[in-house]
Amino acid sequence: MEWRHKDLITLEGWTREELHFFLEQADYMEELMNRPIKKVPALRGKMVVNCFFENSTRTRVSFELAEKMLSADVVNWSASGSSASKGETLRDTVWTLEAMGADAVVVRHGAVGVPDYLSKKLKRASVFNAGDGTNGHPTQALLDLHSARKRLGGLDGAKMAMIGDVLHSRVARSDIQAFRKMGVTVTLSGPATLMPEDTASLGVEYVSDAHEAARGADILYFLRIQRERQDDGLIPSIDEYHRRWGATDSLVSAASPNAVVMHPGPMNRGVEISSSVADGPKSVILGQVRSGVAVRMALLYLCLGGAR
Amino acid sequence: MILLKNGRIFDGRTLASACEDVLIKDGVVVRRGSGLQEEEAEIFDMDGKIVCPGFIDLHVHFRDPGYEWREDTESGAQAAAAGGYATVVTMPNTDPAVDNPVTVEYLVARGKKAGGARVLPSGCVSRRREGKQLAELALMAQSGAVMFTDDGAPVADAKLLKTALLYSRDLDVKIMEHPEEPSLTAKAHVNEGVVSASSGMKGWPASAEVIDIQRGITLSRETDSPIHFTHVSTELGIEAIRQAKKEGLQVTCDVTPHHLSLDETCILVSRFSSAYKVNPPLRTRKDVKALWDAIADGTADAIVTDHAPYHMDEKDVPFQEAPCGIASLECSVAVVLDTWLKLGEPVTLEHLLSLFTSGPAALLPRPWRSLGVLKEGAAADITVLDLDAVKRVDVNEWKSKARLCPWNGEMLQGWPVMTLVEGKVRMNRLEDGE
Repeated sequence: MEWRHKDLITLEGWTREELHFFLEQADYMEELMNRPIKKVPALRGKMVVNCFFENSTRTRVSFELAEKMLSADVVNWSASGSSASKGETLRDTVWTLEAMGADAVVVRHGAVGVPDYLSKKLKRASVFNAGDGTNGHPTQALLDLHSARKRLGGLDGAKMAMIGDVLHSRVARSDIQAFRKMGVTVTLSGPATLMPEDTASLGVEYVSDAHEAARGADILYFLRIQRERQDDGLIPSIDEYHRRWGATDSLVSAASPNAVVMHPGPMNRGVEISSSVADGPKSVILGQVRSGVAVRMALLYLCLGGAR
Repeated sequence: MILLKNGRIFDGRTLASACEDVLIKDGVVVRRGSGLQEEEAEIFDMDGKIVCPGFIDLHVHFRDPGYEWREDTESGAQAAAAGGYATVVTMPNTDPAVDNPVTVEYLVARGKKAGGARVLPSGCVSRRREGKQLAELALMAQSGAVMFTDDGAPVADAKLLKTALLYSRDLDVKIMEHPEEPSLTAKAHVNEGVVSASSGMKGWPASAEVIDIQRGITLSRETDSPIHFTHVSTELGIEAIRQAKKEGLQVTCDVTPHHLSLDETCILVSRFSSAYKVNPPLRTRKDVKALWDAIADGTADAIVTDHAPYHMDEKDVPFQEAPCGIASLECSVAVVLDTWLKLGEPVTLEHLLSLFTSGPAALLPRPWRSLGVLKEGAAADITVLDLDAVKRVDVNEWKSKARLCPWNGEMLQGWPVMTLVEGKVRMNRLEDGE
């Protein structure tokens, strides 16, 4: 397959065939990770800048490991203590990085639309969305596809229950898009106050009862609940939330016997997920983290021309 | 003296089928008729184009005083004339706010020197637009304020709005309300609907508009005072106003070119271009249809631009960080005419043109109401339209300081080609199409 994407802003334009092809590349990358000497020279001489305007540990480290395993030169740029704190505009920052020779910019930002904006402004460099506000987190969706597919075999026809704070979750938006594209039926559950107004426009169903959503599901996906949602008045208390929508053994037992339990991390144990579930046999949460490195390697390799 | 030959005259109500001439002397229309001769007059051949009373825009932001890097009275007034408007009403959300007679007089004086459209300022309802204390409404009216509004935001306090409605009743100056219930729109960036669902950005629900409109209607009924709602954007808001009008209340409203032509999906299609970020937000296709229905059945009284310019450095940033505002003075008439043509002329041309002329004029204080008609003895404010003209929107040609516009680069049909203000030619593109 001729790879036609230079950037990853959103998975919207990716076809199912491209996703399949991509996941096979990620399988190959994961094999590399198992070798005693992990580094390959695929991106030698390429310069990648990780631009993180928001704090992130796992995504930044995951991208950085992927870049280093492919032998790219890596620069980590963070907003604090940088030109951004001196009032430089975003476009001047990325133009500067491009002028210095950056081949790719990995960007995490709190505002929706930043990767779109940068891809319109940059003339040459690739842009990879590492999360933009509440809008999207496409590499998370790719790694979730990768780890779910590894455990379940195929994804076509599978059922997913996504439980938690969908309203504020970029992971939810990207995952809904990606899993639906692979033929998965997605049902949302959680407090109505933490759901988007128009769930039907996302092509998913919503049921408030978590057990009903989980019944017979092949994938149970639990989203983070931030404690500030209680302060916002959107849920009465963390305890009430945990009792109604938290991942407990009883909730998990409603799913299909072979179901996988997923969580994007970082986890709030005892809030949206209990430790017995997080560490239990159905959990693939650490597998997700491992897939994260593999899919980011595949992404950089394909989009930065390593394939040619 | 100026003689406009062979134009189809729209007098503010009806469009003549035959061509006639208009003779202008000392800033006044002195004669209308066929075969007029005047040796000393400068003659312009209208060649069958439509000759209208000068267009009136009741809602523009010229950012003067305080934010002149975005626009000022001169650039704004010239942009208005270039866009076919002979009269504009400026909004008072400046720094300092226009909440006193001195600032009103400053703007009137600046407007007179601007060499563009006639500039009529509005004044604030409350001091510093804080919604706490009534501004000097009568003194501002004396100095030339033609509307009272805390635009940019609603009048913050219901009691104050009621007081203002009562107090302004004998001033012949209307209260213009920006309908928005702020507790429902805090931190919102887009309409509550498909874009808020797919992007997670907080949405502006239609209820925020309707609740404030219902508050205003209720207070207007209770005080027996007129109220005008500006930039109404939702089907539910229109329906509330329609019912109030049926009841016989003194309730009026206006709609904008962007809400008549664009919907929320533009934000997704453009991949979050900040050009589409505006307050109130672009709504659904159903709402767009409802606004055209409101024009058709007389619920909408005027079309206003809500021209809200920003400097490129402020506006050309990622969507969620961008300020709200669409600058459109120099293409809005074409946007409306082009949309009207593409929709298959959902209302008569006469009725559509009245929303730029007699409709808004009727909402102004008495001395200005004759601006909405073209007749002998009236001020020679004239807008000439060429419905066949097809032209590309090009922000680089603009008099306005704004450079980001949803329609930039688009070919639109139906353009103003001449603007006269008190008998002076402020824009002339008659030759462009030749």
